[in-house]
Amino acid sequence: MSDLLANLWMGFHVAANPYNILFCLLGALVGTLVGVLPGIGTVATIAMLLPITFGLPPVGALIMLAGIYYGAQYGGSTTSVLVNIPGEATSVVTCLDGHQMARQGRAGPALAIAAMGSFFAGCVATVLVAALGAPLTGIALLFGPAEYFSLMCLGLIFAVVLAKGSVLKAVAMVVTGLLLSMVGSDLETGAGRMTFDIAELADGIGFANVAMGVFGYAEIIRNLELPAESRDIVSAKITGLMPTRKDLVDSAGAIARGTILGSILGILPGGGAVVASFAAYTFEKKVAKDPSRFGRGAIEGVAAPESANNAAAQTSFIPLLTLGIPPNAVMALMVGAMTIHGIVPGPQVMTKQPELFWGMIASMWLGNLMLVIINLPLVGVWVTLLRVPYRLLYPSIIVFCCIGIYSINNSPTDVVISAIFGIIGFWLVKHDFEPAPMLLGFVLGPLMEENLRRAMLIARGDVTVFFTRPISAALLSTAILLLVIAAMPKIRRRRDEVFVE
Amino acid sequence: MSEGVTPSPEGAHSGFPSTTDNLLGGLVVTVIGVALLGYGLYTANTTIPRIMAAVIILVGIAVLARFVPVHAPRDFYGGAALVMLATLTLIAAAELPGQRGFAFGPGTAPRLFSFVLAALGAAIAVSGVFTEGPPIEKYKIRGPALVVISILAFAAMIRPLGLVPATFLAFMISILGSTEMRWIESLIAAVAMTVFCVLLFVYLLNLPFQLWPRYY
Repeated sequence: MSDLLANLWMGFHVAANPYNILFCLLGALVGTLVGVLPGIGTVATIAMLLPITFGLPPVGALIMLAGIYYGAQYGGSTTSVLVNIPGEATSVVTCLDGHQMARQGRAGPALAIAAMGSFFAGCVATVLVAALGAPLTGIALLFGPAEYFSLMCLGLIFAVVLAKGSVLKAVAMVVTGLLLSMVGSDLETGAGRMTFDIAELADGIGFANVAMGVFGYAEIIRNLELPAESRDIVSAKITGLMPTRKDLVDSAGAIARGTILGSILGILPGGGAVVASFAAYTFEKKVAKDPSRFGRGAIEGVAAPESANNAAAQTSFIPLLTLGIPPNAVMALMVGAMTIHGIVPGPQVMTKQPELFWGMIASMWLGNLMLVIINLPLVGVWVTLLRVPYRLLYPSIIVFCCIGIYSINNSPTDVVISAIFGIIGFWLVKHDFEPAPMLLGFVLGPLMEENLRRAMLIARGDVTVFFTRPISAALLSTAILLLVIAAMPKIRRRRDEVFVE
Repeated sequence: MSEGVTPSPEGAHSGFPSTTDNLLGGLVVTVIGVALLGYGLYTANTTIPRIMAAVIILVGIAVLARFVPVHAPRDFYGGAALVMLATLTLIAAAELPGQRGFAFGPGTAPRLFSFVLAALGAAIAVSGVFTEGPPIEKYKIRGPALVVISILAFAAMIRPLGLVPATFLAFMISILGSTEMRWIESLIAAVAMTVFCVLLFVYLLNLPFQLWPRYY
């Protein structure tokens, strides 16, 4: 316990560095901005801003990227409540009751409760990340190549099962990502693989190109196809930010339940924050004395999902920081960012770079505090921003992405590759394929291949090694069990229902 | 977050998709199959991918001839494309050395995952024949094409022309993709964005960009 406190103290020391506070604030602000604007997702933004963080020191870069992530969770709720447009997928359910509250003239309390719930969840999750970090890292050190390979399989399967859409297609996307990651020089022999003799492919396909193409460009192309949405802003007067005593009493339980649910679901790979907010809302409806109030401005319907998505956003850092395995697409981008800065994500981060690990954790708490302070006064500003029409927004995003990609290697070819991935991403959506599992596969590809190769070499080519080593066997059988459960017709129907609602 | 289209079996349209769609789809599948077969024959050591390419051609012709009814075109063509991709990677990785003793060669993992992908793709395609599914959405050409053209134009212009013209022109090309474009507003926005990018990337982040065309 004293270790934990000492470590946290060190973390706060790092996070309280003026530069790091600035990066944290910047990240939180940009994140909120992104969360407010519909049509630019969190993944796309982090991909867009990756090049900008190259020049920063690693700690600052990661603090800023993390700030964007949880800032987006806050920002999404603002538009959900005020304009009934969820800025992020994670705040879709907040629309249901939040916007009803706004119509009843209670937008202020709704926003305040969302912010308070998020802050509480953020505090709990920060402590959780700090507390679980050390023991999980200890477990990770017991892992050999075979265990790592199995763990990555399990992580990918989890991500597939918890995502929406067909499991078969998601698995296919993971494998596509793995194959794409193998383009370029072989890790051990240096032989050029599947490069078609194109010199630019010898180093492999850049991670930022894939992410920017599949999430940034493809999303824009997709939005251009949709008919122009009418974004009429209900200019409800926000009077009285403070919730009443009754509001606080009503939402306290919901915030606590949402935080617990969100923390658990965040650690599991897959949907993370999105699943957490849906689950929290459904759960609140189930435990409520009078479920009919939901959808008509029940404050619990705002408090629970908002706490849950924030908690999940933060606890999803746990598998990344301790095991080096990204549980969702945003964390996959964090892996990309860490790799660019020469940090290999995994258990060694905590022992070799304690400042980075604890500094990031402490900055999460600081970031949440900043968000509460900046979010409420800035509500008016965010709403004004919504008036920027999409027809002016999207060319700006495209140009910004182009410059960003070009700046990574000063290579026009990278820009062309990202355009190709934009088309691929567009095609994938047309055929009901989810791009997120592909990105996860792409990021985990080199690690998986390396561990598979090592495991086979150590076991002298014996494939059964994955089932004879106990930890590996347990991980793999869990993965198989999950796949079987997800494929069962009854579960499948329930799963579809959850995602449709 | 990407707004994925949720597949809804209830909303599936009844009967077969219009015949022209499958004529086009079958033709595309056949042509790509022929191209893959050609590439396979041109490359050594590719017996299995050659057979796979031949199967793709046969399936393409079968769809063309309406011998295979495609009930869920999104799944069918999606799966078929994955099989094609797997065939392509198999041919591309054919010349890489494989397993030696206990050690993986550089070609082992690509081949392994190509086979897995081919199997998954085939399963998805087959499910597209036997289950009902919504038709493929119509592709709108204008917006997507102009977005892609603007990105490619940026790639072509950045080296010879420099950051300022490339940013401005790429902005103007991409904004043409919108149906509600207004000239004056767009020009102002393009100038503002160019100034913003120059300030951010060149002056704030100190990236070594060339701003204007180079005079030789």
